[in-house]
Amino acid sequence: MGRIVLENVTKSFGDAQVIPPLDLAIEDGEFAVFVGPSGCGKSTLLRLIAGLEETTSGKIQIDGEDATQVPPSKRGLAMVFQSYALYPHMTVRKNIAFPLRMAKMDQAEIDKKVEGAAKILNLVDYLEQKPGQLSGGQRQRVAIGRAIVREPAAFLFDEPLSNLDAALRVGMRLEISELHNRLNTTMIYVTHDQVEAMTMADKIVVLRAGNIEQVGSPLDLYHTPRNVFVAGFIGSPKMNIIDGPEAEKLGATSIGFRPEHTDVSTTEGKWKGRVGVAEHLGSDTFIHVHDTGLADMITVRIAGDIAVTHGDDIYLTPQMDKLHKFGADGLRMA
Amino acid sequence: MSDRKLPRLLQTPAVVLLLIWMLVPLSLTLYFSFIRYVLNNLRRPEWTTPSFSNWRGFGNYEFVLNSKDFLFAIQNSLLIVGSILFLTVILGVLIAVMINRAFPGQGIVRVLLISPFFVMPAVNAVLWINMILDPVLGLQGLAVNGINDLIASLQGAPGIGWFFSLWPDVAPISFRATQTSAYAVIIMVTWQWTPFAVLIFMTSLQSEDQQQKEAAVLDGAGALSQFRFLTLPHLARPIAIVVMIQAIFHLSLYAEIEIVSRGNGNKNLPYLIGEFANNNIGAASATGIFAVILANIVAIFLLRMIGKTLME
Repeated sequence: MGRIVLENVTKSFGDAQVIPPLDLAIEDGEFAVFVGPSGCGKSTLLRLIAGLEETTSGKIQIDGEDATQVPPSKRGLAMVFQSYALYPHMTVRKNIAFPLRMAKMDQAEIDKKVEGAAKILNLVDYLEQKPGQLSGGQRQRVAIGRAIVREPAAFLFDEPLSNLDAALRVGMRLEISELHNRLNTTMIYVTHDQVEAMTMADKIVVLRAGNIEQVGSPLDLYHTPRNVFVAGFIGSPKMNIIDGPEAEKLGATSIGFRPEHTDVSTTEGKWKGRVGVAEHLGSDTFIHVHDTGLADMITVRIAGDIAVTHGDDIYLTPQMDKLHKFGADGLRMA
Repeated sequence: MSDRKLPRLLQTPAVVLLLIWMLVPLSLTLYFSFIRYVLNNLRRPEWTTPSFSNWRGFGNYEFVLNSKDFLFAIQNSLLIVGSILFLTVILGVLIAVMINRAFPGQGIVRVLLISPFFVMPAVNAVLWINMILDPVLGLQGLAVNGINDLIASLQGAPGIGWFFSLWPDVAPISFRATQTSAYAVIIMVTWQWTPFAVLIFMTSLQSEDQQQKEAAVLDGAGALSQFRFLTLPHLARPIAIVVMIQAIFHLSLYAEIEIVSRGNGNKNLPYLIGEFANNNIGAASATGIFAVILANIVAIFLLRMIGKTLME
């Protein structure tokens, strides 16, 4: 069980309020991702839930019980840190066993649980090694193992993959998702990487300056971003957002269209531009188009390949049914 | 290999200097320890100049081993060094943990804590033995007098007087008496060297990973468990450093022993060397070689012990 509800939670450091009043509910078994640019308060929010920071005001409920004043060790949550925070002088076995040892569990029971966790995480061969002898991915798995054995109400991940290289990151992403499917425990995952958010989350919480900009499933956020910020933050490459006369023609302050929702032609189309850089990925081609008179640069994405090079003329036509319109307040227009 | 020549050449002066620095005194000591060499002997004036013709073999070593103070000096050296190490490490860790947090007056407290280290050993000894530990004039004498006066006045008090009349007079401890002079040395050197331990442990504590501590908090570790399982292992290496450096320094204590009791009932190996060196350089050198051997044994033993207990 692990339903976590935040009610009117705020956090201030001195006079600076980093989290203005905030409400949020994370359902039992849900994989929630907090995403936002650095300094948006997402890590602080996670630390508030963990109890590592004191809430300035408001209530945090875990499983219906008020946990605001409960010390971190009694909240039944396990956390995985960005720096792994393994105990460097203990073997992997002792690291994983540490929370159980602190709970004064029976040694035989501890051994059984540690072996079980090691099996799930492919760490059986490394149990007697020290963290210093392991690779980044293995260390991260040890940190996850230390969290699993406690059978927590919820797992908290604080940017767990940002110290890994790109290839390993993709692998660990899958492993964490599989772990979630297997354990079915609530997980809260903090990242600045929207790809991680999109691929792993049941529910994404987009944060900016401590405010929740939008909460929803990855596809909700992709198809109907609530405002310009979410529109620009979710999706890769970023959505093209245009202000000015073209937007006014449609009765909006700004309009947005995704690179993949744009038709491209070398002969005719709505807007004419000049090819800047073309990135050929094989499966897709990203073309950065300049001199359209709309914005500095428009990015478009074409499935497969197209024969254009730097300096060629190119014509763009946005798919009108997938156009996003935003009002003067930055909010989506129905 | 020729491209290595220049670096080697440039290193040579330093290496040669080091060799001379180390080898000359050591080989001279070895040489003197195998010959008869005294500073003054009217009957055998030829012994007053070192020469191979005065060869004595292991005679000096035998002489030292058979002298009545030798075993006592070794015992006493170990007692003094061991006690000081034990006390400074424990006090050092406790104080370092205590002041490793923000509190008002932090800067002043830290400077005050370090200051005993700047006192010269001889001055330290004179201060302690005369002003603090002296049974009549020192703080000890004053405190003991005060306690005795207090008890005496309470003995006349109604109701509780009978209880205090059961108390004996408190007698001051004379730290110059033969048995206790070693304790005086241990106390004053501990006072002087605890700041050194604090300084090293404090810098090490400041590099402790805070996320590890947060992880431990979430894992349910209380303050004591955090200290035992995170802080203490983190301090294992600095403790080893403090123990090594202090062992080297305290095996050669001299000034304190001289000032407290002039070696009465409290000799260590260096003091014994000093006594022999009044005339018998051969025996003093042999004792010096014993001291080198002892220092090495102590170092190896201590490092093993620390490595095992703390590094897990």
